[in-house]
Amino acid sequence: MHSEGTNLLNSFTADVLLSRVEKPARYIGGEWNMERKEAYDFRFALCFPDVYEIGMSHLGSRILYRVLNDMDGVYCERCFAPWTDMEQALRDFNEPLFTLETKSPLKDFDIVGFSLLYEMCYTNVLTMLDLSGIPFRAADRDESYPLIVAGGPCTVNPEPIAEIMDVILLGDGEELEPELVDCVRTAKREGVSKRELLERLSKIEGVYVPSFYEPVYENGRYERMERKNDFAPEHPRRRVVRDLDAAKYIGRQLVPHMQIVHDRVAVEVMRGCTRGCRFCQAGYIYRPVRERTKETLLSQTRELVECTGYDEVSLLSLSTGDYSELHELLPRIIDDMASQKVSVSLPSLRIDSLLKDDLEKMQTVRKGGLTFAPEAGTQRMRDVINKNVTEEDLLRAVTDAFTAGWCGVKLYFMIGLPTETDEDIVGIAELARKVSNAFYRLPKDKRGSGFRVTVSVSTFVPKPWTAFQWCAQDRQEEIVRKQQLLKAALKGVRGAELHCHPSVLSVLEAVFSRGDRRLSSVLIDAYRLGCRFDSWAEHFKPDAWTEAFERNGLTMDEYAHREREVGEPLPWETVDALVTESYLKREWAKAQLARTTKDCRQGCNGCFGEHCEDYCRV
Amino acid sequence: MKIIAAFEKTKELSYTSHLDVQRTLQRAFRRASLPLAFSKGFNPHPKLSFATALATGYTSSGEWIEVEFSEPVTPEQFLERANAAMPNGMRFVDAFVADDGFTTLSKLLVAAKYLITLHTEAPVTQEALKAAVDAIMGSDEVIVEKKTKSGVKPANIRPEILEAEAVSASDRTAVVAVVGTLTAAGGLRAETFARALFERLALVGRFTAHRTALCFDCAERLPRL
Repeated sequence: MHSEGTNLLNSFTADVLLSRVEKPARYIGGEWNMERKEAYDFRFALCFPDVYEIGMSHLGSRILYRVLNDMDGVYCERCFAPWTDMEQALRDFNEPLFTLETKSPLKDFDIVGFSLLYEMCYTNVLTMLDLSGIPFRAADRDESYPLIVAGGPCTVNPEPIAEIMDVILLGDGEELEPELVDCVRTAKREGVSKRELLERLSKIEGVYVPSFYEPVYENGRYERMERKNDFAPEHPRRRVVRDLDAAKYIGRQLVPHMQIVHDRVAVEVMRGCTRGCRFCQAGYIYRPVRERTKETLLSQTRELVECTGYDEVSLLSLSTGDYSELHELLPRIIDDMASQKVSVSLPSLRIDSLLKDDLEKMQTVRKGGLTFAPEAGTQRMRDVINKNVTEEDLLRAVTDAFTAGWCGVKLYFMIGLPTETDEDIVGIAELARKVSNAFYRLPKDKRGSGFRVTVSVSTFVPKPWTAFQWCAQDRQEEIVRKQQLLKAALKGVRGAELHCHPSVLSVLEAVFSRGDRRLSSVLIDAYRLGCRFDSWAEHFKPDAWTEAFERNGLTMDEYAHREREVGEPLPWETVDALVTESYLKREWAKAQLARTTKDCRQGCNGCFGEHCEDYCRV
Repeated sequence: MKIIAAFEKTKELSYTSHLDVQRTLQRAFRRASLPLAFSKGFNPHPKLSFATALATGYTSSGEWIEVEFSEPVTPEQFLERANAAMPNGMRFVDAFVADDGFTTLSKLLVAAKYLITLHTEAPVTQEALKAAVDAIMGSDEVIVEKKTKSGVKPANIRPEILEAEAVSASDRTAVVAVVGTLTAAGGLRAETFARALFERLALVGRFTAHRTALCFDCAERLPRL
């Protein structure tokens, strides 16, 4: 039984705080299926550095919430970044940030763990530590503070946050997090020092203890990593759950009171993707592909719908259209759910999937939006990025959809891709025109009305552990020029609508994606200069960021817009993400020749090198 | 068949919005495996409607809803099954089967009763509170700035106030009981009344509101004025 708890937020103060904020439901907890525990001796604060409605939509956090709360004597609670109004209220009343379950301050926990899904949330991590009275730097925290941990896809380049975190977790958390908890729990019982605890943790596969490694810089650039002892692994390796079908899933899914971004039952059909799109970090860092069986998915879906009362189910993965039993699974789930008026959606359809029958099936329940991601406008460009989709595939898919009654389609593209020319930009507009024509070519009685083709364009960000990890990002002026070129080219395309993501945010994302450890100081300076919620345009402060870089003698330009030489030392290579450098080099070389690589379900491409057979069963 | 039911909303859930409550009820009914009837059409939705909305931040002893089922459900079954699926902070306290030809709750709604608690920044006495309430009730006009679609406008809320009574005052907390008109077209808002009262007391602070009852004009077993 935990004896502390004297610091719980009292209900009067809570009332005062909540009455001051725009969306109080973000902070109240008490959702259906929330964990309530009386007896526990270990406390884990599962933190998400963005607002509630975004954090609650994150599948990985939901899985960890279940995995950790299923451990005897462990109570895992949630905490999200407070929106700026709540941050101000907490400061005004000198109250610490609190968890949703028991309204406890983060300082009372044994482990405070952050899920890092995108680089632009890093300043929010600092807000959460600051509002908890926890020093930013690992070196400034002794045994009296919780162990500060980070996990999630961003940690494949752990360096920008390396001075902040005590421990960084690499890869899947289902098995790794319980091992972390067990190790910390035992160490606490034995009363060992933080140094000793970190040594023990560093021996767990998937754990990176940054303070055991020291980067060396030469001529202002990262040169190499020096290990400060011989017990920490030379290259801590990303953790992989080998049997996804047997792995724990979310169990009793929480049902938020307020609407969240993905407000539905989430079923993860598989992890990983075999396509090998060269820009896609997720495609590389979630390898190998692992599927759940359709029987498991059917029973999980039933149980989740029953215990949540949701009327929508989403079959999640990086590419659900590639799930090997999709055409057996989909009709069964749809039939199963139709009687309960529960709709089924697939968030990521491949253009080349055999869509027609499934589309018609899905429509019998409810009609969602239709989104395709050709990513690039010309076949040459699509071959460079290894998006093995043709114009014919897209046109066939949209024609099927239009015939089935859809009259709107959203197309995702990137600009600023390596080797891109103006022809590739104009090609985006040409593709939109052909999609538009495909709609208007149908006889009037066979098509709907109010046609829309939404062209959504984001700026390419080169990411570590991809074939494009060496590439320079286009400068902002160039991106803006390309956006205008596209806008002009889309004139006269019936029903076309252009959405461009602001490119200025992509620069910072590019910096932190491929940054080194010096960025920890930049991050702390930027936070002190007022940077928060950087992915929200209304809060993004470019001048403050520029100043933070200047104070540290660094420039964003160097990180975002400089092409790395193949073979030059890269700060993220201390960790082993399983995908080998030689494979990435091969992919980059093929990309430059616009040569494609086949889906690895059609034969191994050797991406894990000597570890292929150990890890991959495809 | 249609069930008419009332639920209470307590502190924990007072900060959820009306839309949140709609979703919460729909999901609770699904979890309870109650045989919801659905509307026809492309996006079928459960036939569930409210007498009125409760403002975010308020608590209530009785919010009335009507919900249609495709198979017979007794009020006892409804209460037992729905309450087993409701989150902490929301609970059904009453239910009955609607007669054939029942119109809708929102058409029958006439008034609402509130307990309004002022948390003032300076102490307030029982006498001062009573004087302020009497001043409101004794005047023909109580002008309060009201937010409308076309901006903030002064409005006379006096006709909307049916009764008001000073309940208690101690130190920095003052409680008043208020009855105000409330129909589908609108009515008294606890928030505007609280502002008028703060003004009469010449005090500042914040308030909390609890709706003690909704009142209907109807011979059935709904609460009346």
